[in-house]
Parts: sequence; structure tokens; C-alpha cells
Amino acid sequence: MEDFHEIGAIWRGETRRALRSGRVLVLLILFLLFVGLSLTVGAGLSRIADSQLSLATGGATPTAEQVEGPRKQFLQTFVTEDEAMLESLAAIPLMLLAVFKVTLRFLPLFIALMGFDQLAGEVGPKSVRYLVVRVKRSSIILGKLLSQMTLFALLMSICTVLMVLVAKILNPLFAPADVAFWTGKLIISSMVLSLAYLSLTALFSALVKQGGVSLVLNVIALFVIWFVALIGSAWRLPGELAMQGSLSMIKAESAWGYIRYASVWQYGDDLLHPHWGRFLTAALVHVGFGLVFLGLAQLALRKRDL
Amino acid sequence: MSAAIEIKGLSKHFGAKVAVNGVTFNVEEGHCYGLIGPNGAGKTTTFSMMCGFLFPTSGSIRVLGLDPTEPGVLKRKVGVLPQDAILPPTWPVGELLTYYGELSGLPNSESEAKAALERVQLPETWNVQAGALSHGMHKRVSMAQALMGSPPVIFLDEPTAGLDPKIAASVRNVIRDLKGKHTVVVSSHNLQELEELCDASAILDKGKLVSASSMAELTGQMAEFRVQIARGQVPLEELKALLGVKDAKLEANNVLCVSYDSVTVQPEEIITRAVGLLATKNVLFLTVWRGKRLEERVLQLT
Repeated sequence: MEDFHEIGAIWRGETRRALRSGRVLVLLILFLLFVGLSLTVGAGLSRIADSQLSLATGGATPTAEQVEGPRKQFLQTFVTEDEAMLESLAAIPLMLLAVFKVTLRFLPLFIALMGFDQLAGEVGPKSVRYLVVRVKRSSIILGKLLSQMTLFALLMSICTVLMVLVAKILNPLFAPADVAFWTGKLIISSMVLSLAYLSLTALFSALVKQGGVSLVLNVIALFVIWFVALIGSAWRLPGELAMQGSLSMIKAESAWGYIRYASVWQYGDDLLHPHWGRFLTAALVHVGFGLVFLGLAQLALRKRDL
Repeated sequence: MSAAIEIKGLSKHFGAKVAVNGVTFNVEEGHCYGLIGPNGAGKTTTFSMMCGFLFPTSGSIRVLGLDPTEPGVLKRKVGVLPQDAILPPTWPVGELLTYYGELSGLPNSESEAKAALERVQLPETWNVQAGALSHGMHKRVSMAQALMGSPPVIFLDEPTAGLDPKIAASVRNVIRDLKGKHTVVVSSHNLQELEELCDASAILDKGKLVSASSMAELTGQMAEFRVQIARGQVPLEELKALLGVKDAKLEANNVLCVSYDSVTVQPEEIITRAVGLLATKNVLFLTVWRGKRLEERVLQLT
């Protein structure tokens, strides 16, 4: 009970401090600028695709089949080959999906920027000493992590709602029911996805006492995660497909392809999957990675001098 | 009286560097205890281990019978003014202290925070951001958070360092008020201050303990006294012949040092007799003090 009180007090205090410091506002502006840029590029590409389709049909309104063909090809190339997923994503404007996917790619980096100094920023100037005589070190980590989650949920919700609204304005056929469903789904997906990365950021912040070093290590770890997933995915490609994708150096599917499962990035796409089983598996994997990183962060802070 | 803090064979290594080496001493309950030593002596490292900030490489520490490295055991039992620990700059002072009170589980955090600020004479800083405080104010606010909740043990690392004389005196008054009601450990370079405040002290040098005793024993207050002679011929042989006197000699700057056996004679008796003898021999003197100045003793030991 005492632990819950401690964690709750730190969560409240840290959230209040972050909201007051103006940092959240800066991050929100940064994130909105990024989303705005992605939306602009996405809308531009969408217009180019529409005009090309219009040219192909000789100016006539393209039929549903004519629209669906290039869309499916795009999704297969850049998003997923899973038929059920392709079916599910049919309801969402392509531009929204593309922007959301791009945003997800940069989400871990955004999380790192948001929380790299949550602990390191207190260990360096030793202000953490005012806390450790009052609360358990584990409560400090958990309270701060909860605060980061709260802030992230706030920022991500604002950005997702904005993305969906813009998509709705640009795509009048985007049905209101689909708007509500996809808003919720995208927010939940990004929240689940963030669990592992928030814990990873807490881990690096607990390991070192300079915020800058924590950020650099965090970014290096993100690149490792991306590379492991990318290399694993590349090795799994059959030779023929690899040739098509200009990956001629990769001969065929091999055992190396399995290393992608060691990267949390591998499971991100399934968070949008229409089948609950696939979604829950992906969610559990993210929670699992999150718990591992959090456990390591706890261990690091518990064993280190402050 | 029982020991509030017990330290046995305490060592701390930072890589190859030995910061604290086999230190052993006890702090009695209700005492004001000084940690003394030159820069790099291991005072702050020892202090930090007592507060649970640093983990000992070997040896043991018990604060009120508890191991400070165990998570959460010091809660509400210890108040700490850490050296060089910066208060989070974006917090208003009142809100920050209230927050610390909540973390300590104090039932009336806000009123505790106000009372603590009153105690260090800084109630006007309630709405001031911690980052905007002057050095002296920062130190006193930091002291205020250590006093909140009236913990039984209070650690103060360099509480008056960098303060102007008036503020330093007010901080000393606060520490004086704590004596007897709390166990207080003070680390400081200001030896005059420690001599005035502390009941006992440990002197560290190059990580090792060179002395741990009561202030009276350390300064020899129960074994010798000194007289600053102004004019006249000091009757050394007659002084040596007084009951209980073990030795009498003249030191540098015309200071007469008389050592005596504190078992056979009380200090007030021997000082009165010796001073009386000097007066009858027309020896004029300026001041009389018991023992050695702490500063001299520390310089001798380190």
C-alpha cells in the first residue's frame, strides 16, 4: 500500500512538473510539425496518384476496382502482405495509414526525446538524493514511467485525433463510424507500442548520470532494434522477391531471418491487425519487452551509487 | 545512551581509488556529531553511505538499527541536507517542499513545509522557483526539507558553507535547537563551528579514521588548559608542584600550557589555583582556555 502511495505521489508530482515546465508544449509542437509535414507529403502523393489514375481512365471517374488495385499494391509493398490486414485497412484512407505508419516509425525517437533525462537528469545534479531518502528507488522509476506514459498518451491522442480529422476532411467518404473506430484503434496501438520504448528510455536514463549520454545510448539502441528487424526481414525474403526489391545480395530465406523475432519492432504491425489473437500476441510481446527493459532499469538503479 | 548510528570497518572504493578505508565509529542518540577532515578525507563519502546514497564496498552501517542500503528504510527516520544536491529548478519552493512531505507520507505536508520554511527564516520564498534562489537561500531551503517531519536522525553536509556570517549564525542556531531532541551528524570545514556545536566527532584523513571521541577528549578539555601570558616571569616549577599538575610549559607566542590529572583534580579547582599563583607572582595574562583549539588538534592529527 505504501508503495502505491509513493508511486502515485511521484506520478502526480512529475506530471505536474512536466506540464508546468513547458517541455510538453515544445514536444507537442515538434510532434505536430512532424505530423503536419507527413500529412502534407501524404496529401501531395495522394493527389499525384489520383491524377495518374484519372489520366489512366481518360478523365472518367475511376471505378472501385480501378482505385483498389493500385491501393492494394501500395499496401502490399509498404505495409503488409497479410490478406486479413489488407481487408481491414481498406476502410482507412491511404494517406492516414501512410502518415500514421511514418509517425510510428519515429515514435521511439520521440519517446527518447521526451524522457531521456527522467532519471539521468536527477542523478547528475544529485536532486535524486532528496527522493531516495523518502521513497524506494523502485517507486521512483515506476512513478516517473507512469508520468511519461500519461504525457505520451496525452500528446499521442492529440496528434492522432488531428491526423484523423485531416484525413476525414480530405476524404469525405471516410465514414463517421470508421473515423471513431480508427481513432480509438490508432491511439490504442500507439499506446501499446510505446510501452516497450518508454521502458527502454527509462532503462538508459537509469544507467547513466548525464542526460546527453542517455539520449545517445537510447538512439543507438533504437538503431540496433531497427537494424535487427530490417536485416531479419531481408534474410527471410525468398531470392526472387529479393531481386525484385533490389536486394540482390540476399540469396534466399535463411536461419538469419529468425533474428527479427528478437526485435520488438517486428511485432509493431500486428497491433493494427483485425484478428484479436494477432493483436493480443503483439500487445503481449510489447508488454513483455517493456517488462524486461523495466526490470533492467530497476536493477540498474537499485545497484548503483547515486 | 545507545548508539543511533553504528559504523564498522566501512570502506568505499571508486575503481582503484580508496575513498574510505576501514572506518569504525558510533554516534550516540541525541548527540550532535561532527565529521571533520581536509578535502578528500572521505567525509562526504562516509556521509553519503550513511544516507544510503552510496553502497559500501565493505563493512556495515546501521542507522537506528537499520541498513540504509535497504530500500525505503530511512523514510521518516532520516532528514538529509546533501552537499551540492540541486533542488529541481522549475518547482516553486512551497510546492516542492509539500511534494517532499507527501513522498515522506507526512499527514500535513503543506503545513509541515510552511513550518520548516519559517524555521530557516525563509517563508517569503514559498512561491519562488527553486532555480531562482540565491546560494544561501538554496542551502536553507534544502535544510528546511531535511527538518520536515522532525525525523529522529538529521544529516547535514556542510550546512553553512558559502553562507554570510549572519545567515550562518542563524543556521547554527537551528542546529543548536536540534541538539538533544535529534541525533545530528554535521560535516563541515568550519572547525570553530563544530567545536561549538558538537558533542563528539570523527576526524578522517585520506579515507582513514584518525580519531573518534567526545569533543572534550579530542580537545583535551579534561586534561589541560592554556593561559595567554601578557607580561611577567612564569613560575613553572611552582606550577608543577601544584596537586594534580602533571606538567607545565611555555609554548610559542607566550602561551602557558598546564596538563593535569583529571581523576585527582577537577578542572575548575586546578585552573583557579594556577591562575591565583600567577597573580601572586605578578604575572599578567589575557585569556584562559581549556584544552586545545579544535583547529590545532585537527592540524596535529591530519
